[in-house]
Amino acid sequence: MTWVAFYTFAVMTLGAAFCVVTFRNVLHSALMLGVSLLGVSGIFALLGADFVFASQILIYVGGINVLVLFVVLLAARHSDLVLRQSNAQWLAALLVCGVTLFGLLRGLKAYRSVTLAAGPEPGTAKIARLLLTDLAVPFELISLVLLAALVGAILFSRAEAE
Amino acid sequence: MTLTHYLALGAGLFAIGLFGALTRRNVIGILMSIELMFNAANINFVAFNRFLHPDRLLGQAVTIFNITIAAAEVVVGLALVLAIYRKLNTVYAEDYNLLKG
Repeated sequence: MTWVAFYTFAVMTLGAAFCVVTFRNVLHSALMLGVSLLGVSGIFALLGADFVFASQILIYVGGINVLVLFVVLLAARHSDLVLRQSNAQWLAALLVCGVTLFGLLRGLKAYRSVTLAAGPEPGTAKIARLLLTDLAVPFELISLVLLAALVGAILFSRAEAE
Repeated sequence: MTLTHYLALGAGLFAIGLFGALTRRNVIGILMSIELMFNAANINFVAFNRFLHPDRLLGQAVTIFNITIAAAEVVVGLALVLAIYRKLNTVYAEDYNLLKG
């Protein structure tokens, strides 16, 4: 049963990701990005990561993807639909990606025998305890990063008041 | 399911994202490809956590941090894209060749 779900989510993720990088219309790419992120959240659910699954849907699909869609709509022109959307170096890029993928897949062979020991158990309480004890300093730092990003986004995107 | 399946999925997603980041002309498309690469890394973190250290959830906590960093990155990136778009009226990366617009 698990492998049906795994291959469903894997095909969903990879297929939608392929559409994201190849579609000519950026709006369709952004919608496909949402499908791909949903597939990734399904993979998280399969891995028993309940809190990460929920945050993936909340932050990525509900936040980042909607933001990307807004910017696509705000910064679009009619000529985008007829212009070429990939640069002239796609063959070199394909080569680089092929070599990268080959190297990564070769490195995976060491983990072929690793299988699951036990079923998943809820991890939200464990993550909460971890974030407030061992990872308390990074947790506070990340809120500082978010504040800086908020201020930076407002600074860059406001209309000039001269 | 073995760990290799999940890692192979992560590797494939990373390669697709890398291809998009290298070939898209549209800056927003490049940002979306970078999001795909972030997700590939997150899949690897959670998979390693689940298969190798299921008792401590450090990998999942790092994934939460990753998602937060990705959100901050995309917010600032898109704000910059919008600011540049207002000045130059283009979203194509090869037209962004002036530091002082």
